[in-house]
Amino acid sequence: MNYEFTEILETIRMTEIEHFDIRTVTLGISLRDCHDRNIEVTKQKIYDKILRYGKNHVRNAQEIESQFGISIANKRVSVTPISIPFDSFNVEEYVEIAKVLDKAAEEIGIDYIAGFSALVQKGMTNGERELIKAIPLALSQTKRVCSSVNIASTKAGINMDAVNLMADAIKKTAELTKERDSIGCAKLVVFANAVEDNPFVAGAFHGVTEPEVVLNVGISGPGVVLEAIKEAGKVDLQQLAEVIKKTIFKITRAGELIGRKVAEKNGVPFGIVDISLAPTPAEGDSIADILKAMGVEDVGAPGTTAALAMLNDSVKKAGLMASSSVGGMSGAFIPVSEDMGMIRAVQAGNLTLEKLEAMTAVCSVGLDMIAIPGDTPASTIAGIIADESAIGIINDKTTAVRIIPAYGKKLGDMVDYGGLLGKAPIMEVKTISSESFVGRGGRIPAPMRSLTN
Amino acid sequence: MNLTENDIRRIAFETINELGAGVSADVIRENVKKKIENESSNSFNIPSSKTISGRVILTSFGLNKPGIVAAITKSLGDNNCDIMDLSQKIMGDFFTMIMIIDITASAKDLKEIQDDMHKIAEPLNIKIYLQHEDVFRFMHRI
Repeated sequence: MNYEFTEILETIRMTEIEHFDIRTVTLGISLRDCHDRNIEVTKQKIYDKILRYGKNHVRNAQEIESQFGISIANKRVSVTPISIPFDSFNVEEYVEIAKVLDKAAEEIGIDYIAGFSALVQKGMTNGERELIKAIPLALSQTKRVCSSVNIASTKAGINMDAVNLMADAIKKTAELTKERDSIGCAKLVVFANAVEDNPFVAGAFHGVTEPEVVLNVGISGPGVVLEAIKEAGKVDLQQLAEVIKKTIFKITRAGELIGRKVAEKNGVPFGIVDISLAPTPAEGDSIADILKAMGVEDVGAPGTTAALAMLNDSVKKAGLMASSSVGGMSGAFIPVSEDMGMIRAVQAGNLTLEKLEAMTAVCSVGLDMIAIPGDTPASTIAGIIADESAIGIINDKTTAVRIIPAYGKKLGDMVDYGGLLGKAPIMEVKTISSESFVGRGGRIPAPMRSLTN
Repeated sequence: MNLTENDIRRIAFETINELGAGVSADVIRENVKKKIENESSNSFNIPSSKTISGRVILTSFGLNKPGIVAAITKSLGDNNCDIMDLSQKIMGDFFTMIMIIDITASAKDLKEIQDDMHKIAEPLNIKIYLQHEDVFRFMHRI
């Protein structure tokens, strides 16, 4: 036989028991040719284009799922940052566009469509200001639309005016969606150094340098890594890194295969495979559990950051060897609400916002799906975004803030969204003020390391 | 993907010529639509791997009882699936079997064969997985 008994059983175990799945196949569609000065024509063009490329996306992905026996958890679509082709529109028109995106997503049978976005790290056009103003309305009046705004980059610094606007937008979104635990904020990401080919919603968008249409894949296998670490037993950290690498290598290979097949079936080019370890609220599908299996008593214990750094680095190294199209974030995600282990660590008082912030310096994204008291002032949220962005631009990495100032909730309460978004305990935020600092506005200049030429 | 108005006009004229005089506008519209769709879907140069093999790995396990192999192989035989390799072990009370089968000659596709196997697996209380060989090749061979 071409394959060893054990090899075949290993694959079956990964897919059937350890929750290895393709987290998302995301079809990126350019909307740059959809502008018309008449909003109705624009809407029709957007709708037609998404349907033209996306109408068979879900069915094709399902066929590949059954052919290879690997489940694909989410089928999604990302589009060009809406502010770019539609810069001439105003708040009401942007909301109309969000609604048409929502309708198109429903029609092709996907749960989320991402790209209600703007890239304003250096400055804002009038259209971009309007889009940011439209975000709370768009997120509260649609179900499937996700939004992201890039407010900082290593090359441009941090646009503090945009940070302040986004902090207000987050507060407003929380209020407008208060009847559902401020769920709008779960669909809104503030980025530093956003990547253009990220397949993971809510932060996905189809970057301006991307082709007409492309298919990107995000894989996910925390459960597989967890089992491999448990099986390795008491080995030193170098050997442990090796174990992680071998496991990631295998799942990346499978991810690339599935991505290419789905792209081929859709008749579109294959883009990248994002090898991020993305947890889900399912038991055993947790990054926190991996860190604990590595040896820390709970997430938040001294050593956690080092363990996460090693995990993140091993993921990247293995992925690079396994596929020549690694892209996106490709690291470990540490969202709170989507990871049972993280939730428990917060509830036990072991994991604080400050420790999480430190961890984001070595993981792939940032402060993700964190619920904070609803009365947190916008200036404090702006301060949190600025801190996170500073980590991003100084370390030349992507950082993100997806924070939920849950309207009417206070410390000790929970927000619960069900499904993949999970549930989150409200975390404590320092009440000392950042107002005078963030209120200065302007731009934090680009750091030293931007001058590489 | 971007068809210009000229392209569409050209396609329309071609269609009218092909269909000849005396067809209704609706028929022409339908045909033009189809052609445009075809044209659009061919606009990317994707190398398609038409040579994808029909080899599938069947894995089956569960509590041992008589008739498992018989049930599986009968169904495969009826569907014209070629068994290329087979390895079977009993571990304690546990039955495990791995087969490499070729479904190229079968009238059914992988999905239909999977459905058949589910029907066999249920009354026997065993698990049967069918996955295309490529998954294993990608994961375990460089």
